Amino acid sequence: MEERMGIAVGLTAGLAIGLLVVALLFRKKVLGCTFDERQERARGVAFRYGFFTLMGSVFLYGASELALGRWCDAMAGGCLCIAVSITVFAVICILKDAYLSLRERPWKIIVLFLALSLFNLGLGTVQLLRRGLLEDGVLSFRAVNLICGVMTLVILAVYLVNFSLERREEAE
Amino acid sequence: MKNLRMKAARAALDLSQQELADAVGVSRQTINAIEKGDYNPTIKLCTAICRALGRTLDELFWEE
Repeated sequence: MEERMGIAVGLTAGLAIGLLVVALLFRKKVLGCTFDERQERARGVAFRYGFFTLMGSVFLYGASELALGRWCDAMAGGCLCIAVSITVFAVICILKDAYLSLRERPWKIIVLFLALSLFNLGLGTVQLLRRGLLEDGVLSFRAVNLICGVMTLVILAVYLVNFSLERREEAE
Repeated sequence: MKNLRMKAARAALDLSQQELADAVGVSRQTINAIEKGDYNPTIKLCTAICRALGRTLDELFWEE
């Protein structure tokens, strides 16, 4: 119980600190997301699809638990739903050339997503080898890193394919 | 419908899509989408493009 409380507090604190750092970077203008009018519109469409995917996946998660019994804990299930909807949002943005803001450069995003994928997949693998991802036959919160790693890897793969196709188009 | 007049005006000034995009403050893909007819720009962006290319709205965007 104490261990779980510690993990919950750690996750919440980590998320809060992360958000604070990002907000501070935006305030200091280190990070900046300026999109043009076409990108804003495309991102609006992507947000809509992401939102409905989140609603659909939460419903499916609930329905699957009702039908099959408890197969994953709430933390893993919630993260799974969020990961699916973020992936849908990001993939639509990438396909509509609206993922990068005007100031961002492709290599920065590729390196960032590669680092995030490796970090999360690495942590996920350590969890898998040390304690396993299942707890009493239920997918536990320890799967969260693997879920995030797979999500960033999928987004990176789509970005790389789109990026190489675009470069070919530019060359022509 | 493709906007060949805009493409021709850009080519006449020897500007790349990226250079025009930088001049009007949008992404290269947005200029490409306008030229291909995949995106219908707002009047604000149309006037910015016209200024950058030294043409009038009629010359670049008016459809007969």
